[in-house]
Amino acid sequence: MSQVNVATENKSFVQHHFVDAEQQFDTAKLGMWIFLVTEILFFGGLFCAYVVFRSWYPQTFMAASGHLDKILGGADTVDLICSSVTMALAIHYIQVGKEKLTFILLGITFLFGAAFIGSHLYEWLDEMSVGIYPGSAYAFKGISDPHAYVFFTLYYLMTGLHGIHVLVGMGLMAWLMVKTKRGRFSSEYYTPIEITGLYWHFVDLIWIFLLPLLYLVD
Amino acid sequence: MSEQHHHIVPVKTLITIGAILVFLTILTVFFGYLHLPSPYNAIVAIGIAIIKSSLVVMFFMNLYWEHRRFNIMVFLAGLVFLSIFIGLTMLDTMYRSHIVPGF
Repeated sequence: MSQVNVATENKSFVQHHFVDAEQQFDTAKLGMWIFLVTEILFFGGLFCAYVVFRSWYPQTFMAASGHLDKILGGADTVDLICSSVTMALAIHYIQVGKEKLTFILLGITFLFGAAFIGSHLYEWLDEMSVGIYPGSAYAFKGISDPHAYVFFTLYYLMTGLHGIHVLVGMGLMAWLMVKTKRGRFSSEYYTPIEITGLYWHFVDLIWIFLLPLLYLVD
Repeated sequence: MSEQHHHIVPVKTLITIGAILVFLTILTVFFGYLHLPSPYNAIVAIGIAIIKSSLVVMFFMNLYWEHRRFNIMVFLAGLVFLSIFIGLTMLDTMYRSHIVPGF
């Protein structure tokens, strides 16, 4: 049964139900793209809620957004962009067969992710210290608008969901680092790095929209 | 016969795209401090975000070099569904005489 496969394809990483490595690679990538589309719609629910409430209460969103630190939001964006560059470089170096550089770049990507999470925790704690909590726990008196809590609830939900995605991405980076260290990847087979890269860039993509929607309204 | 023909993006291209993205981020934060009059601030901010995300999708997620166009179609289909989702919802919420009470 496996005779046919051995004849056409003598590579250990190719599963028996694929014609060759190329087809396996393309299939994995297509699967990831379809998953990313479901992710777009997953975040889409929150984006939709945001658009609806902003169209109802434009003044509220302006007043509440002015309370967020634009510079910090911008710095978070730069952090994620840098992590996207290091991720793309990791893929580049595994393609040319430099596993050691790939390992280091995956590590740097992980650290950028950790810095992003740290910056966010700092920002959240900073806001909670003055009583900006999500939902009915909202107790901040600094903005007189009665609907300000709607903006901040959306803020917590959107940055929180995005933060969970960053944490998952960091887990994937750690997993890829272990596998790279064990020599599982080469210029011939690096599918997990490629599709994790797609996921990581998608997380960057979402943040690129969260910056203007949350921090730059006013 | 499975000769690998994956596109290897040059390091220089990746660094350049990264630098452009950082520049656009600084630009959009700068515009945030200018406090442009109401419709224009949103147009500028979202416009820059669309340019940035296009760069990410094309050059980091490799759709620019994709030899199988199907992935591009899948991604664009996602955007179409997102716009149907938000668009049809807004057709309701924008034309209500009374906003949902309690919110």
